[in-house]
Amino acid sequence: MENNKRTWVDLVWRILLFIWALSILVPLLWIILESLKTNKEFFANVWALPDKLMWVNYKTAWKSYNLGPTALNTLYFVGVSLLLGTFLTTLNAYALTRLQWRGRTLIWSTIMISLFLPGINALVPQYVLMRDLHLTNSLTGLIILDSLGESVFFLMLLGGFMQSLPKELEESAYMDGASLMQVFLRIIVPLSTPGIVTVAIFKFLGLYNAFLGPFIYLGDQAKYTIGVAMYNANQLMQYKADWVTLFAGVTIAMLPTIVLYIIFQRQISEGATLGGVKG
Amino acid sequence: MAQPGVNTAGSGGLLRKNKVQKRIFIFFAIGPSFLGYLLFTLYPNILSVYYSLLEWNGISASKFIGLDNYIYMFKDNFVWTSLYHNLILMITVPILTIYISVFLAYLLNNKGYLESAFYKVLFFLPNVLAIVVVALLWRFIYDGEYGMLNAFLKLFGIETNNFYWLGDTRTALWAILPVSIWSGVGLYIIIFMNAMKGIPASLYESAILDGATHMQRLFKITMPLINPVIRVSALFLVLGAFKGFELILIMTNGGPSGSTEVIGSYMFNMAFGKNSHNYGYASAIGMFLFIIMVVAKMIIDKFSKRDEIEF
Repeated sequence: MENNKRTWVDLVWRILLFIWALSILVPLLWIILESLKTNKEFFANVWALPDKLMWVNYKTAWKSYNLGPTALNTLYFVGVSLLLGTFLTTLNAYALTRLQWRGRTLIWSTIMISLFLPGINALVPQYVLMRDLHLTNSLTGLIILDSLGESVFFLMLLGGFMQSLPKELEESAYMDGASLMQVFLRIIVPLSTPGIVTVAIFKFLGLYNAFLGPFIYLGDQAKYTIGVAMYNANQLMQYKADWVTLFAGVTIAMLPTIVLYIIFQRQISEGATLGGVKG
Repeated sequence: MAQPGVNTAGSGGLLRKNKVQKRIFIFFAIGPSFLGYLLFTLYPNILSVYYSLLEWNGISASKFIGLDNYIYMFKDNFVWTSLYHNLILMITVPILTIYISVFLAYLLNNKGYLESAFYKVLFFLPNVLAIVVVALLWRFIYDGEYGMLNAFLKLFGIETNNFYWLGDTRTALWAILPVSIWSGVGLYIIIFMNAMKGIPASLYESAILDGATHMQRLFKITMPLINPVIRVSALFLVLGAFKGFELILIMTNGGPSGSTEVIGSYMFNMAFGKNSHNYGYASAIGMFLFIIMVVAKMIIDKFSKRDEIEF
């Protein structure tokens, strides 16, 4: 429908689109701009450009918010949960959607119950359970909590993808004497790679952006992941007015997901559509 | 290639040995995730029913008090104030989010502006930001002394006298609203754009011949046709506004003086807050939420089966 003639109304539409674009760009650019000023310049005028770009703020943020250890914690938590979780989800999706076995319907409907649970009422018993298992205040505990479980959204996304693969592929492999695990690893996984990548991207976003879990379970500052560390840094701001360093820290915290989004923009948009329709 | 009679149901024709092998594979494929789900999700959910009948601070011995938590809850004004705040957000956030995203999606989809391709990428960007980043970013924007909003208003000659948007009971809840919308619209733009792509161009063409304006086309053709998608989205947004509390937890933690408290943050602070560890009462509030959600879901299911549109 691009054969419409352009009229003055189009100008209004374009301005509206532009305003929405500004509402996203301006705050993000503003915080980056402020992160390169001195506190004095920031207090004097929030719009003015800095005399000199204060890259040192990033160094200060990195040091004073312990972002080195925090980055390692985040990498450990996100990395292991991502690998383990994606592997288990893939196995699960395969067994639940492409294999026929007794009890499958029962397991599938048990998993579907999770759609009716608000989750919020389980926070307290889940915490007590984790405490009894000595998994609180531990990144490994968080990994276990986040990797072992079922997600209807991911199972549907990946299961739907796997169901579209032709059955003959596996059958000829079985004829050649391949085991189930071999079929899974050599045929199903390679052919499902686009679906697995989409699942992995969404898992990464979910894990990296996770706040509530790390906030509840990590008591020790040395174990903080990036989100909790920045939350904590902001809480401490009440006692020292070091804004520009905090801006630098928040900018550091948002960089990984922005870079990821720019790289995997297409997969993320496609996956988001699926999630909205089926989730 | 597969022989006739071998290719039934994927596993047909396998030898007995392979059947055992299949059982072992399924056990290890399903086992860890499913047991984890039973232990960390289902079991705590069931246990929360029992917890809601206890007086317990999580450390000392618990005491069974029957329905006392529930009785106290119905008399607790904070619960009702919080629910009222939820109600405000449950009405405003979904309506505004849906109207803005349908409108923007329509423009991006039906108007081939030069800059549209860039906007399609940009508009989803807030959705990939961590909730902590979004919350802190907007805290900076709303700051009284150095915030971007007040500085922006000043450019237009509006003097706010360092008004703290999140620090005033009259504005704090309303200041949360744009943040929820800002961080949510991107997803729905993508969803609606995708739904709009499924509408046959012929429908628009005849409307154009009849002289329908873009606004008429949007309200008379596009919105009715993507109505099922809009409805599902509205359901998700309403549920999200009901049970979501992370944004509020980080931005205001329910303050000032409870003016942004929602039921989720109230429950959270009851259980994990600085001053209170009332696990039993928090669980009772959680159960109450659970019941409201199940009832709401049943009501919505009952009314949402109507007027599906085929095209």
